Amino acid sequence: MEAPDEELMLAYGEGDAGAFETLYKRHRGPLYRFVLRAIKQRSSAEELFQEVWIRVIEARSRYAPQARFTTWLYTIAHNLLVDHWRKKGLTLVQLDDEPAVAAPDNPARQAEARQSLARLMQALEALPAAQREAFLLHEEAGLTVAEIAAATGTNEEAAKSRLRYAMAKLRAAVDE
Amino acid sequence: MSDEQKISQRYRELGREEPPRHLDDAILAASRRAVRTRPAPLVVPTGRRRWYFPLAAAAVIVLAVAVTMHVERERPDLEVAEAPATAPPPPSSAREEQAAAPAQAPAEPPAATPPPEPRAKRDLYAPDPKPAPSQELRAQRDAERLADLQKSQTAPTSPPPAAAPAPAPAQDAISGARESVRADTASKPLAEMQQAPAPVPQAKPAAPMREEARARASAAPDKVPAVAGALGGFAYASPEQWLQGIADLRRQGRHEEADKALAEFRRAYPDYKISEAMLEKVEKQK
Repeated sequence: MEAPDEELMLAYGEGDAGAFETLYKRHRGPLYRFVLRAIKQRSSAEELFQEVWIRVIEARSRYAPQARFTTWLYTIAHNLLVDHWRKKGLTLVQLDDEPAVAAPDNPARQAEARQSLARLMQALEALPAAQREAFLLHEEAGLTVAEIAAATGTNEEAAKSRLRYAMAKLRAAVDE
Repeated sequence: MSDEQKISQRYRELGREEPPRHLDDAILAASRRAVRTRPAPLVVPTGRRRWYFPLAAAAVIVLAVAVTMHVERERPDLEVAEAPATAPPPPSSAREEQAAAPAQAPAEPPAATPPPEPRAKRDLYAPDPKPAPSQELRAQRDAERLADLQKSQTAPTSPPPAAAPAPAPAQDAISGARESVRADTASKPLAEMQQAPAPVPQAKPAAPMREEARARASAAPDKVPAVAGALGGFAYASPEQWLQGIADLRRQGRHEEADKALAEFRRAYPDYKISEAMLEKVEKQK
């Protein structure tokens, strides 16, 4: 049975570098996609992604598992995102021109997938930042509504509402 | 399949971007460096090294014994010199006799002789009205030593003052230090703060974020932040007090210090959510 994230983080806090490596491998992909799709600029996303982990490393000795590690990790990411947005004057960065996606072999499916992807990406881009964040936290981090509320510093009703609106807009885009 | 599941499925089809390898390597290297900076665990030394600790311990013990013996040897000189002058306290029966027959003690004038009182009370609560000869001698010697010491300390630099000022009470000294610390942290101008013995390090030129982050991650996490001095120590009381301190710095126009303190705060409490109202106070307004 795999060790829980919280145990790994505590072990890292006590000097076990291997625990961090395991933790990092578990969360690197979802966190990277969360950041990348939240700010949509690869270079900034990479910097922010790195900064999140640096904060985790720096806070290792103060970490106390009061909630799931995932919630804590994405709370840090949320705080950095907020800082990023504030620095940008609360305006969202535009989407990268070329969406990163694995291309299917079949040309017909490739075109269809590209269209679907484009619609979904556009819809995702068009979402208000808070709704997009709620959706990404749900999809990438697997957070529940309560955890989304905790990570973003809002109440459950607001988190639920954001997620519901995001889902509705994305569904409309996919159904087109 | 519900709508939510459908959206999730489509979302998963978007692609599974992963962080580039160089980023993985940098983060993992930073995580290892950070752990390496911690004190290494004690290991059993081998070879010649295994004798280091016993030898060091033996040296310390020998030194301690030598110092103790030296102190013991020095002490009898004082005691021997004082011994003849020190009259043993008279037994209670002798005191009673003295009290009963004051004429048998002509050395002390009758006026200076306090009324006899029970021994237990006198010994425990009341100081002797007149110091014993040995105490007088000791006090005189102490005064001479103190005078010599003061002379030797003040002679090379400045002539001794005409009249030694009365020593300030300890309480005054403490409150004075507190006042000076308060003045340093609250109202001292930035220029004076920079002249202080342990000034807040000046902001270094902007470096690429990643380099800075790497360097930071390898630093010890428990290290006292450089801004703690500027914040007067309240940085560790609570996040709220820390933020209030940053807001105070900002209000006083000490933006550079406030920026550093805020950055330090973010590192110390990466998951702390600063309210909008507080953000307006701690962040530099454009």
